Amino acid sequence: MSSHRLFFGLAIRNLQIHWLRSLLAAIGIIIGVVAISSMGILGNSLVLSVSDSLTDVGDSVVVTPHISFQGMTSTGTDKRITDRQLEQIRRASGNNEVVPVYAGGDRIRIGREILAASIYGVNPQDIPTLLNLETGQFLRGASGVMVGAKIAKENNLAVGSRILVGDEEAGVRVVGILAERGMGFDISPDYAIIASDQWYKDFYDVRGYDQVIVKVRNLKDIDQVKNSIDAQLNRRETEVNVYDTKAILETILETFGRISTFTMAIGGISLIVAGVSIFNVMMMSVMERYREIGILRSIGTKRAEVRSMFIYESLILGVSGSIIGGVLSFLGGYAAIAVMLQETSYLFAFSSLIQIPYGMIFGVATSILSGLYPAWKASDLRPIDALRHE
Amino acid sequence: MDTQPVIVFTDVTKIYPLDAGDVVALDHLSFEIQRGEFIAIMGPSGSGKSTLLNMIGCLDVPTSGDVIIDGKNIRTMTDDQLTELRRDVLGFIFQQFNLILLLNALENVQYPLILKTGETGCTDRCKEVLAAVGLTSDLWHHRPGQLSGGQQQRVAIARALVNDPEIMLCDEPTGNLDTKTGTAIMQLLTRLCREQGKTIVMVTHDPRTAEYADRVIMIEDGRIKEEA
Ligand SMILES: Nc1ncnc2c1ncn2[C@@H]1O[C@H](COP(=O)(O)OP(=O)(O)OP(=O)(O)O)[C@@H](O)[C@H]1O
Ligand SMILES: [Mg+2]
Repeated sequence: MSSHRLFFGLAIRNLQIHWLRSLLAAIGIIIGVVAISSMGILGNSLVLSVSDSLTDVGDSVVVTPHISFQGMTSTGTDKRITDRQLEQIRRASGNNEVVPVYAGGDRIRIGREILAASIYGVNPQDIPTLLNLETGQFLRGASGVMVGAKIAKENNLAVGSRILVGDEEAGVRVVGILAERGMGFDISPDYAIIASDQWYKDFYDVRGYDQVIVKVRNLKDIDQVKNSIDAQLNRRETEVNVYDTKAILETILETFGRISTFTMAIGGISLIVAGVSIFNVMMMSVMERYREIGILRSIGTKRAEVRSMFIYESLILGVSGSIIGGVLSFLGGYAAIAVMLQETSYLFAFSSLIQIPYGMIFGVATSILSGLYPAWKASDLRPIDALRHE
Repeated sequence: MDTQPVIVFTDVTKIYPLDAGDVVALDHLSFEIQRGEFIAIMGPSGSGKSTLLNMIGCLDVPTSGDVIIDGKNIRTMTDDQLTELRRDVLGFIFQQFNLILLLNALENVQYPLILKTGETGCTDRCKEVLAAVGLTSDLWHHRPGQLSGGQQQRVAIARALVNDPEIMLCDEPTGNLDTKTGTAIMQLLTRLCREQGKTIVMVTHDPRTAEYADRVIMIEDGRIKEEA
């Protein structure tokens, strides 16, 4: 119906006449949409970045020594997993691969640079199970080390570089550089040095392992493996802690998911404020135009037509505010994740970008909702009363 | 042509219930108006003239009694039907002109036509009507605020005429105009009645304006005092 062009035109003219307050109402919607979308983008990027750095460790059961308060006073803090316990873990894990790991940290020297690094001792045969190679080669024998991707990059380490560990002056040679893997619940290799178990044992003179990682082939078995280790080792008293990285991962993702919902809800509040301001503008518009509404009604404008004229007004505010807000959300989301995550690539993920149309839909819906009552109020005026209004 | 009266009031009462007591604005009023008649309604202030006119204009409904406009009893009609009747059969001319301030003269005249037909490209008809009521074309794109009272009233008359209504309702059409302009407007209305056969019902308190009418209905305290 082209008479709707008429009401649309009237709506535009009225907004133009009251351009300042129209602008303010639209700015409210813009802010609301930007808040909701960029918070959504931030939350989603957070979830993405967490799951990105954690995905490949979702398939392990990690066993660490149980350190109780009692344990600390009687036998000291360096409680370790013994060979006997390792055997029990192997039995409980069926045919899944079991990797015992020494883990510690030390002062290291690279050229004249002195820094702290994590140091892991792993049987060379087991390293390919846990980690991927970037350049060079995997460890073969007891000598030589592999280094994490980030420590290598930041210190210009290459295959053949020499690293001095602790106070020793002999040093170790880098034979391979690992692919970047991100933080893990088992080991975090990116800033670490991976040596052979033999070297670690000799160098630090330790007995027993710091943790045992069970790589579970079939994810469905993960609970079963975990329970059976728990049953085998913690029969009498709790000797070891058994973590299931999948469960940890899920908990973390769930938590971040909740945080992102929460941040979006905060954005939603600003949209409610925007809705109130549109409501306010529309009510003012209706009240100022009592007489005009009376004139329109008296010369044959139906209730629904009056209603549509006011709905158009709030719709124009909402749609224009949402479009501008959508564009700015792109920038807002970019800024938010650049500041919070130092990483902007997550903005271009579908699940991030979809937050923008979501925000825009919320913006338009808010404007329609807040325009409904004023529009209804306008259309419900008795023409005779409206005409008499001065 | 139809010989049925175009407006029939039968025992019409309008009561405004107020806290200070009910106001009887129309008191068991009955009369008929024929097609093509030019009627003036006169009476003292507060006698119920505007109330009567608003009822013919389907802007108000009687408390009791029947109002029949163009063969239809307005008490049985829905709000939308009454609105369509105002749009298609009735044309209003008010003392305060009541133009739409957001629209220019031409657009004000187009408005009811677009409402009725849904077509936006009907400017020829509107210009024709504007020319017929004597508004020169240099003023067609002026907003109401940029027009004199007499010019505004001409636009209002053009707007009332554009849908070719059966009945024109005028509440003090010359009330806000000087004598000379008022006379011009009255001559225009008379011409519409004579040449186009419009039924005109006009409220006025000015005896000289009432002289243009075929018949005068005098009311006082909501009752017809005399007809002449
Ligand atoms: N909406 C209303 N509520 C209450 N009383 C009303 C209302 N409209 C009119 N009245 C009363 O009805 C009576 C008739 O009013 P009306 O406006 O019809 O008078 P009128 O003849 O047009 O007067 P005037 O010449 O001053 O315009 C008056 O007593 C008035 O106070
Ligand atoms: Mg009056």
